[in-house]
Amino acid sequence: MNRREIILGGASAAAILGATRAGAQQPQDVVIGALYQMSGASAQVGVDAHHAFDTALDIINKSYDLDLPLAKGEGLAGLGGAKVKIVIADHQGDPQKGRAEAERLITQGKVCCLIGSYQSAVAVTISQTAERYQVPYLSADNSSPSLHRQGLKFYFRPGAHDEMFSKAMFDFFDIQRKKGKKIDTLALFHEDTIFGTDSSNAQQKLADERGYKIVANIKYRANSPSLTAEVQQLKAADADVLMPSSYTTDAILLVKTMNELGYKPKSIMAQDAGFSEKAFYDAVGDKVIGVISRASFSLDLAAKRPSVAKVNEMFKARSGKDLNDLTSREFMGLLLLADAVDRAKSTDGEKIRAALAATDLPGERTIMPWKRVKFGPDGQNLDADPVLLQWLGDKFVTIFPDQAAVAEAKWPMNG
Amino acid sequence: MTAQALVQILASGLLMGLIYALIAAGLSLIFGLMDVVNFAHGEFLMLAMYATFGIVAVTALDPILATPLVVGVMFVLGAGAYLLIIRHAMRAKANIGMVQVFATFGLGITIRGLAQHFFTPDYRSIQTSWLSGHTLDLGGVFLPLPQLFGGLLSCVCFAALYVIIRRTDFGRALEATREDAGAVALVGIDRNRVFALGWGLGAALVGIAGAVMAIFYYIHPDVGSPFALIAYVTVALGGFGSIFGALAAGILVGIVEAVSATILAPSMKAIGIYAVYLVVVFVRPRGLFGNL
Amino acid sequence: MPPDAFARKRRTELGVAAVVAILVALLPIGLHDVYLQNVLILTLMYAALSQSWNILGGYCGQISLGHAIYFGIGAYASTLLYTHLGVTPWIGMLAGGALAAVIALILGYPFFRLRGHYFTIATIVVAETGLIAMINWDYAGGAQGIQIPYGPDSWLHLQFARDKLPYIYFALGFACLTWFVSWLIEDSKWGYWWRAVKDNAEAAESLGVVVFRSKMAAAALSAFFTAIGGSFYAAFVSYIDPDSVMGFQFSLLIALPAVLGGIGTLWGPALGALVLIPLTELTRSYFGGSGTGLDLIIYGLLIMVISLARPEGLTSLVALLGRKLITREPASAGSGASS
Repeated sequence: MNRREIILGGASAAAILGATRAGAQQPQDVVIGALYQMSGASAQVGVDAHHAFDTALDIINKSYDLDLPLAKGEGLAGLGGAKVKIVIADHQGDPQKGRAEAERLITQGKVCCLIGSYQSAVAVTISQTAERYQVPYLSADNSSPSLHRQGLKFYFRPGAHDEMFSKAMFDFFDIQRKKGKKIDTLALFHEDTIFGTDSSNAQQKLADERGYKIVANIKYRANSPSLTAEVQQLKAADADVLMPSSYTTDAILLVKTMNELGYKPKSIMAQDAGFSEKAFYDAVGDKVIGVISRASFSLDLAAKRPSVAKVNEMFKARSGKDLNDLTSREFMGLLLLADAVDRAKSTDGEKIRAALAATDLPGERTIMPWKRVKFGPDGQNLDADPVLLQWLGDKFVTIFPDQAAVAEAKWPMNG
Repeated sequence: MTAQALVQILASGLLMGLIYALIAAGLSLIFGLMDVVNFAHGEFLMLAMYATFGIVAVTALDPILATPLVVGVMFVLGAGAYLLIIRHAMRAKANIGMVQVFATFGLGITIRGLAQHFFTPDYRSIQTSWLSGHTLDLGGVFLPLPQLFGGLLSCVCFAALYVIIRRTDFGRALEATREDAGAVALVGIDRNRVFALGWGLGAALVGIAGAVMAIFYYIHPDVGSPFALIAYVTVALGGFGSIFGALAAGILVGIVEAVSATILAPSMKAIGIYAVYLVVVFVRPRGLFGNL
Repeated sequence: MPPDAFARKRRTELGVAAVVAILVALLPIGLHDVYLQNVLILTLMYAALSQSWNILGGYCGQISLGHAIYFGIGAYASTLLYTHLGVTPWIGMLAGGALAAVIALILGYPFFRLRGHYFTIATIVVAETGLIAMINWDYAGGAQGIQIPYGPDSWLHLQFARDKLPYIYFALGFACLTWFVSWLIEDSKWGYWWRAVKDNAEAAESLGVVVFRSKMAAAALSAFFTAIGGSFYAAFVSYIDPDSVMGFQFSLLIALPAVLGGIGTLWGPALGALVLIPLTELTRSYFGGSGTGLDLIIYGLLIMVISLARPEGLTSLVALLGRKLITREPASAGSGASS
């Protein structure tokens, strides 16, 4: 039975195959499996992820003068210059399908490790499958805090999770309060899937611990046709800070509805997701000037991380948009994974796992604002500092933490 | 809760309800005609929104002015869907209802796939309508102009439908064909022609809804699904076969949704709508005004 | 059909089923690919689920598009019993089944008076209500779902890390069981009443109450087996959340094989599952990764083509072939192998 994998991402595949034809004796390609939702509501995330991975593969397989792992030199030196390629599977946002595709990639596709997956629910089954087959799974953009607490050895997350993100927000609030700004009341506005629930739980806990009053905690049904009544309640509560945890469609509807009902929140502190998507800012960016969102990445990092500009340029050439919170983590995640394979000098799952566990990369050698990449015993990178970005109408600026900030925050947002 | 807040909730619910009614009208018409629940209705709505977006992008017309064009496009699409696909489903000798449900379900999935293929899954919205972003402030009660326009248009459409069905030959042919397709053929009315026109009209109605919604909503391949479900419940609540029932039910659904979001946790507001439906059909098994 | 020809037909059906079951049971000997084994498990599971649905939808004529609620009840009941009280899924699924049956009876009482589409929409609405309730019920995990902690391979816990064979055999057994129940129904007084009622409204009138009670029983039976499917699924995937076990897509996917295969027939659901499920899985796996919607297009087109080309279902196609074969035999009684 000869199953052919359909390699999608024509340009990069062609480039990689072309490069491999060049030599007489080429080592076998290293295959990494990626799992994303490629159809349905969040399909755009999957499409963008694909571009991010292609950009990373370009850097790995060709030689670039950048201070990033595997940039210099073609392919993986530890495996005799082997090229890396990626196979993408569609999990359609369903944990069962995620597991089936992970199994298929591992058993049929012979991938040496997995990366994914945006939806945290699917990450649960993928990470468990990876554990069962003893193949590392790198959680590029899943933010649920429960994932690294499953007691898995093959789970690695270089980026921050919801509790860390929310902590950054509250650290920022504390600083503003010390400066004399009024931040007493908060309004939580979150959708009802895992993302919204985890986010609001973290925010609720921090608010209680640090003495902020939650005057509205509105859980709404994701993809609702109308949010008028919900926004009505936000308007009535009129908190000092509105804290939304929403995906793109809901975020757009939220802002439009607030505008229609004449509600201008004093400040908005968003939990990323929809608030970091280009489509959102194209649609309603003019109405939310001054909104702050937590993020894992910002373009003005270029000042402190020299590779950012070049990588963004490469990514933009493929996708037509700038790197954002998700695509930057996906890009970096693939580099980290390939780097581990390189250091392991093998495609054996256990050896790659050991190499990942031994990762110790300084933040300057990444495109992220992280201090460094070093995984704890549970697979979580504790030095994955999040940043807070403020939207100025035409671009984002980093306003927190101090070591990454390029500007003072404009607070409050309105009035 | 202040009186003003209550009025705001009811007003917003009413406006949204009128739009739900408009979406449901097309579904009701098609069902009333030939006992087919069009499972691709949500996708028709989505196509109407994309059509509006496309026409606006190409001609730089205001979406309001583009509406007649969208209606035309959707009419052709609806009639085409009947002639090319649904007509064949009705040849079934058994289980006609179920077969058509699944044929239209397949059609819906295909349309969604095509939309993703050609339009990409990215989100779009229309910025440039002279209605968008404007709100009427009536003593603290905010009525967004696009929704207001949508509500008015919905009323106009229902009035027009009433006239068409009760007062024109076409309307009478529609009613007659539903009652007895065989007899109608004897009188010389081509069943297929009536059905195709009916589907076209149904799609045109949802086209108007889509054109209006494109002004204040976001557009992407999956946008139709939540509206489709509400449309089915609305039609059933109002009673199959009754266009006026769709209007009444739509308004009821819109208001119940808004009120439920305030009384219950907003994530459970749909339960309010569902509870109303279940109670109504328990008491009146044919919906509020149904006669089929 | 004369009595001995009928009895022969019945025995033939049983024989064919046994042969098919044995062949499927032997498949894993040659089929080692984990992914294909997965497809086989899903196909068998949906065949069983659709067969259960068919009891209510096909034989009784009450089209439910909300069966996901029973599936979800089964999944949640057995999972909660397992994670909170350590009860083995074997008992958990019976508990889930019983609970689902009770709920089906409670719902059936007011809803069976509804006709056609009103009934169908009521089922959709009830399932959606169940979904929303589970999302907001924190004790049962809410939106975060419940993870079944994994331990060593065990039949008692119905949990196997990599081995798919036990799941294949369970699903096969489940499919055979539901098929057998349908086979029994076909030659039972319920089956006859329902056929009479479907064809003749006046008969429905006079049989009134008695038919109503049997419909309630059908609903309970259908819900019971669907819930067992849900429990199995939970054990199989080891993680459940409201959207993944109570979503509308399940209700459709449970009904679709029966409709495509032949609603109200004995073989329809299995045949439909055999065609539909591999199609769903393969188009997603091999065409889905591109993000261009190609897999959706193919899937949708195929559903349309099958439902239009053969609206009576695939079994009518098989019956047609069967009739052609039978009419070549010189001494045949009755009209052949179709029912």
